[in-house]
Amino acid sequence: MKINFLINGNKQVLDVDPMRRLLDIIREDLQLPGTKESCGEGECGACTILLNGEPVTSCLLNAVHADGKEIQTVEYIAQQPLGKLLIDCYDETNAVQCGFCFPGFLIASYHYLKNDGEPSLEKIRYALSGNICRCTGYTKIFESVLLACQRLQAGKV
Amino acid sequence: MNYARKVDARAKLDGSCKFLDDYSYPGMIHGYICYARFHHGIIRKIIFPSDFNLSEFVIVDYKDVPGSNIVPEPEKDQPFLAEKEILHWGQIILGIAHPDRELLKKFISKIQVEYSNLPALIDMHECLDDEQNIFGKEITIDHRLGLTIDPSWIRTRGIYYTPHQEQAYMETQGMIAIYDPDASSMFIRGTMQCPYFVKAAVEAIMGKTVAETVVETSEGIGGAFGGKEDFPNIIAGIAALLSYKSKKPVKIVLDRSDDIIITTKRHPSRVEIETFTNPAQKTIEKMTIDYRLDAGAYQTLSPVVLARGVLHSFGAYQVKDVFVRGRLLRSNTPPNGAFRGFGAPQAVFAIESHIDKIAAQLDLDPYDFKKINLLHSGSQMPTTQKIIDDHISDCLERVIANSDYQRKKDEFAIYNQQNRDKKGIGLAVCFHGGGYTGNGEKVLRSKVRLRIEKDARIRIFVVNTDMGQGAYTTLAQMVAESLDHPLELTSMELPNTSRAPDSGPTVASRTIYIVGNLLRELALDIKKSLAGSSLSTYVKTNPEMFPRDYFREFSPDPSVTFDEESFRGTGYRDYSWAAAVCEIKFHASTYHIEIRKFWNVLDIGRPVNIGIACGQVQGGNVQAFGYALTEFFQKKKFGRMHGFTDYTVPLSYDIPEIFLEFIHTDSPLAKGLGEIPMDYPAAAVRNAFHNATGIFIDEIPLTPERIFNQLRNQK
Repeated sequence: MKINFLINGNKQVLDVDPMRRLLDIIREDLQLPGTKESCGEGECGACTILLNGEPVTSCLLNAVHADGKEIQTVEYIAQQPLGKLLIDCYDETNAVQCGFCFPGFLIASYHYLKNDGEPSLEKIRYALSGNICRCTGYTKIFESVLLACQRLQAGKV
Repeated sequence: MNYARKVDARAKLDGSCKFLDDYSYPGMIHGYICYARFHHGIIRKIIFPSDFNLSEFVIVDYKDVPGSNIVPEPEKDQPFLAEKEILHWGQIILGIAHPDRELLKKFISKIQVEYSNLPALIDMHECLDDEQNIFGKEITIDHRLGLTIDPSWIRTRGIYYTPHQEQAYMETQGMIAIYDPDASSMFIRGTMQCPYFVKAAVEAIMGKTVAETVVETSEGIGGAFGGKEDFPNIIAGIAALLSYKSKKPVKIVLDRSDDIIITTKRHPSRVEIETFTNPAQKTIEKMTIDYRLDAGAYQTLSPVVLARGVLHSFGAYQVKDVFVRGRLLRSNTPPNGAFRGFGAPQAVFAIESHIDKIAAQLDLDPYDFKKINLLHSGSQMPTTQKIIDDHISDCLERVIANSDYQRKKDEFAIYNQQNRDKKGIGLAVCFHGGGYTGNGEKVLRSKVRLRIEKDARIRIFVVNTDMGQGAYTTLAQMVAESLDHPLELTSMELPNTSRAPDSGPTVASRTIYIVGNLLRELALDIKKSLAGSSLSTYVKTNPEMFPRDYFREFSPDPSVTFDEESFRGTGYRDYSWAAAVCEIKFHASTYHIEIRKFWNVLDIGRPVNIGIACGQVQGGNVQAFGYALTEFFQKKKFGRMHGFTDYTVPLSYDIPEIFLEFIHTDSPLAKGLGEIPMDYPAAAVRNAFHNATGIFIDEIPLTPERIFNQLRNQK
């Protein structure tokens, strides 16, 4: 089946098995390895992408779900002003440990920053509740996102 | 400079850092494993599905092993590939490779293994309660003085249980093997903690068929926590075998649902403690500990976990008369292995719960009781090791002050009289020995290499891997600081066994403490040879001397001795110390424990990078909160786990406010840190629950179901 979609701003037409996992299409067919697989069952959020602007776990989606949609992966988000702001904040606080889950966290926090951005710990917890991190204990992740929200509010972007 | 940004952070954020599954090689095919889906039995026949073209698949079993089929580990009893008898669900029978990963998995799912069933022991309580089920050598620490028990002494007895815990590193296990028949060489790339262990394993399984084996890690290692200490040996061995047979590069990356079933976990434990306390002096006079671990189906490295466990079992207390007996027991679950803490979290949960129990019997606040009995400068551990400072008391005093313990305790007592929900505050203290146990470091004799290039760049060659804990950054900092050299010009190379000497495994909180300090000594020696000038100037004025390599080997402190038979002497040369206070709220309608605040005070000597150190404490604490509240393997569910749907690790909503302070940071020595934050939180949570409800629960996790049952039984 032919599927058409926009990925990181580029038009794509792929002839694939419509049931092929979107995650495999992104990582293998399109060679965008920043999106990670950890649990493969939609629990951990390491494979999070933006699908029409909403964070979704790409391991639970099939090729057919992407048809006619717009996808953004970490490779794209990292280049956006809000993505860069978040990377700076995560970096400054030494929040990153093994880093395997961070592309997913970057996308979830980018979505929060873009759509709300209030420096509220409770809201940030909610925004990141679909992502598992086993190394950091989340504390520095919250700290980093709060910092990014504050900088955004202060107009430092 | 005790702060520097992590050198690898940005690449991990923007997705450019390469983890194992992001590597690809020309002609590479996919490898996977076929494992037993029964607990114990004899393999009779393996039937391959008929609707696949068998000749497309490369299949290896134990008969294909050209070298030894036994994994080289402390206890050499585990095969790479099962031969006849299966001892646990998840034991690997075959390695299989094919260019198409999906087809490969479909094929494997249709393989039938016919077997005759044998009785299996998979319940941790059945295993641990059965004294006849002993596995291997027992350890005793006998520091009995033959005291007569005074009739006035208070006897306290408790049996404490802890469950399996899964490391749940975010990146599953994986290896790539590339066999080159022309050069008779094997190249292994993987996600691992111990490249030289993997090298030894591949050399063992390949025997004389391969002349040279080189092991290199992937750029990023997606967490490990001990889980990638010994299990990678097996996956590497199988990948090597598949590459040898297919003559192609082979990549194995486990799916989460298989990783959680077949890999090593934290040992379940049963620790029985009996103490006699003098009620007038409030001192513990006599202590007997029976420390047992469920080793799983093979011993592998369990004897070493047991050794560390017993050496932490008596806690940070001064007791006159102590007897500790440590034993391993056998079950039909995957061999348990290394996990952050390595026997100590089980020991600390037991002893800290027990101390709380004694205090309650004496009607004393646990803080007051601990203060009286804590180890102090000049006191002696049951191993006869002398304590040289009062840092544990300092940790305790600080954490009591930081948490406003006394006021909170009074406040909660009033709150609890007026409310159905209960608030509680709990305390725990502990130590953790840095580096290998006993004579381990003496035997290891780690070696490090530094290379100074013509442009004055320093390259560090060690095989300690950065699995997220920050080795790339902290080791570079330690060298750069010692030489007053810019950090930007100092870097640690990707661990590779052909370039780096054996600096030992990345385990036992030893990366900074042993390897970092060894690098530091070497760097200080180099500095002395510069005759007062800076390294950059020296290199510029003496260009003929560079590039130059420098080496150093660990030289053990001769005054440090340990007897491995009697377990007397210096268990660990240096201990890190910690004290913690936990504040919880118990929700009476849901039986749920909410951890609200958590205070840590630690003495780890000099923190090399304060940002990284804080992250280690927070991360270790949260793994321990999971251990305390939610993480376990359901009885009879071994082999039927999926992953994070039925093994629930803490999420963003489960995280309390975590406070931490490092004390005695002016010490020149950087001690171990990685493991200690995992050791004490479970006991602090359990003690806070006791403070909230007056109920002792001596087994974790404290799930709502367990609490409900306990409350019902007490009524």
